[in-house]
Amino acid sequence: MSPTRGSPSIVGLPAPATYGLALALSFATGGALLFFDGFGPVNKTTIALVFLLPVGLSATLWGLAPGIIAAGTSFLVFNYFFIEPTHSFTIHNSEDLIILAAFLCITVLTSELVGRIRSNLAAATDHEQEALHLYEFSNLLATSQTERAAAQALLDKIDLALKPIRIEVLIESSPQPVLLAKGLSVPDDGEVASRPIVEPLQTARGLMGEIRIWRDRDEKSISDTDEHILKIFANQGVFAIERLRLSETARKTKILEESDRFKSLLLSSVSHELRTPLAAIKASVSSLRSGAVEWNSEARTELLTTIEEEIDHLNVLVGNLLDMSRIEAGELKPQKKPNMLREIVSTVSGRMRTQLQSYRLFVDVPDELPLVNVDYVQMQQVFTNLLTNSLKYAPTASTIKINAAPAKDSRFLEVRLANQSMPVPAADLDRIFDKFYRINPSERVTGSGLGLSICKGIIEAHGGKIWAENLPDGLAFHFTLPLS
Amino acid sequence: MANPTHILVIDDEPQILRALRTILTAKQFRVSTAASGEEGLAITAAEQPDLIILDMSLPDIEGIDICRQLREWTSIPIIILSVRDSEKDKVAALDAGADDYLTKPFGIEELLARVRVALRHNNQAAGASKRTIVRAGHIEVDLAGFVARRDNAEVSLTATEFKLLAYLASHAGRVLTHQMILSNVWEPADVDKIEYLRVYVRQLRKKLEDDPEQPKLLVTEPGIGYRFLADE
Repeated sequence: MSPTRGSPSIVGLPAPATYGLALALSFATGGALLFFDGFGPVNKTTIALVFLLPVGLSATLWGLAPGIIAAGTSFLVFNYFFIEPTHSFTIHNSEDLIILAAFLCITVLTSELVGRIRSNLAAATDHEQEALHLYEFSNLLATSQTERAAAQALLDKIDLALKPIRIEVLIESSPQPVLLAKGLSVPDDGEVASRPIVEPLQTARGLMGEIRIWRDRDEKSISDTDEHILKIFANQGVFAIERLRLSETARKTKILEESDRFKSLLLSSVSHELRTPLAAIKASVSSLRSGAVEWNSEARTELLTTIEEEIDHLNVLVGNLLDMSRIEAGELKPQKKPNMLREIVSTVSGRMRTQLQSYRLFVDVPDELPLVNVDYVQMQQVFTNLLTNSLKYAPTASTIKINAAPAKDSRFLEVRLANQSMPVPAADLDRIFDKFYRINPSERVTGSGLGLSICKGIIEAHGGKIWAENLPDGLAFHFTLPLS
Repeated sequence: MANPTHILVIDDEPQILRALRTILTAKQFRVSTAASGEEGLAITAAEQPDLIILDMSLPDIEGIDICRQLREWTSIPIIILSVRDSEKDKVAALDAGADDYLTKPFGIEELLARVRVALRHNNQAAGASKRTIVRAGHIEVDLAGFVARRDNAEVSLTATEFKLLAYLASHAGRVLTHQMILSNVWEPADVDKIEYLRVYVRQLRKKLEDDPEQPKLLVTEPGIGYRFLADE
């Protein structure tokens, strides 16, 4: 029986208290027997048997020492009150000594048995703890999203399982290594005792880091069980970090592939789009400089208007490209503030007044709509792009309708923009939100081919959804915006 | 002109410096240019220009830090130049003491209008007679009389509505960030309550604008705040 586990009582009392209790129990038994003896003499054997109770109980509940105290006291009480001559401690009969010996034997046996059971129980609890630690640890690792989080899990769980005085976890990750520590600081006196136990974090591709553990000076070496646990933790940690690194690499590769594809498409699509306005500007400016155009002529005004319009067009194109590259890089962060959707729609329709002149625009976005948490500039962009798209594909003098209403459950605002353009083949309804997608590639429609995909990027960055739907007489864009 | 208004342009792009120098000189301003933040700060300290046009992205010092440094010792009007999609930076610069902003690319009319407004506000702050009546189209805001008139008929406004209108009108032409408006018209603790502002602006527009959907007086500066456009 190990000294640390056996002596504290099960009931968790301090040692002196258990001695007292053992004593009290023996006296109480004696008292009870005297009481019954008063009604008529009780057989001596019965009395001796009854005195086994305090002895057995004390040994079981509180261990060896209280058991011996109970045995001694019980014997003395038995001797004093029940053995002839009563009221004296004199022992006349060697038979009585046998009773004392029996009491003591029972005490030792009982406490030994109980001790064994307890240490088995403790070992079982230890194993259970270990299994639980491991289970929690692997759960924690599985949910760790960063190497630092994994290292932290490793640190915390080893600390909990082995209770060292200090523990450090070092992981060589880029751009800089992660070093986490817990516990007392280590006296840097170069003594052997302050040297840590080092467990390498070894992967198939080399060393990834290490775990260092400092234990008490008197614990010279680490126990087999603890070393086993440490190794298991280290292995689990290595797997988790490798998994993180692999998924990170996979993610980067996917982004690179995407952006590569995007860039080549962009170059082919955009070089044409950029050159057209540049050509117009160059032509206008050079004819203005040539002196061929009179200072006050109508031609001069027209050339200047062309230049300004083409510059605005270029500015929109560049803006679209920037938006798209931000969306691609996942860097489109809406500056969300409570806004009135109606105001945003009005601003956009006001700004596009000239282009919208030859169309009939109906806006039904009530004042009473709840405020939506959106980025004003980005939402302007969404409406501008949807309207621009409608202007491009819907015939002149046709109708464009914008309306908005809260969804039935009031968790979203539903916005709908319907125009009278040609229907889109059902299979392509989703694809029109793809970059550079054209329903009919041979068609010469100006634009960056990014408008709708930018809308999609913005709406999704706001936590909403966007989709298109064919109507009997046109096409409708729908999108949702979450209401807080 | 004997003593022309002196404008300092701080921008690291030579094309912008050249264009602004040409345009502003043609408009009878005296123009200095600086290609870095350090140089700009040095010229400001040495020559005390009347107005600074400051690009937000300089190679050496962040535009917002220049605003902060200048505001420690001078109230020279600062107009910042910035690109689209940097609303957050613009708001930060305005809250740090810049007077107005322009988004690149900008038209020259816009630039000159901003310059005029900034100079006028600076003159007023310097003690020149303050306007107590601000006119914008057929709207008249009488700041001293606590009353707004539309075609000479009094417009009935609640106390908060008038407070908001008065704050905007007394800074006519200048952009005011949400935060500035909320902390001046409401309590400083209410700087996050943009929803109040939206609702009150909407009400003011209904009472004052010819077409509340296409406001001409109380215009929205997307992502930044509002601007009251008065007659010059």
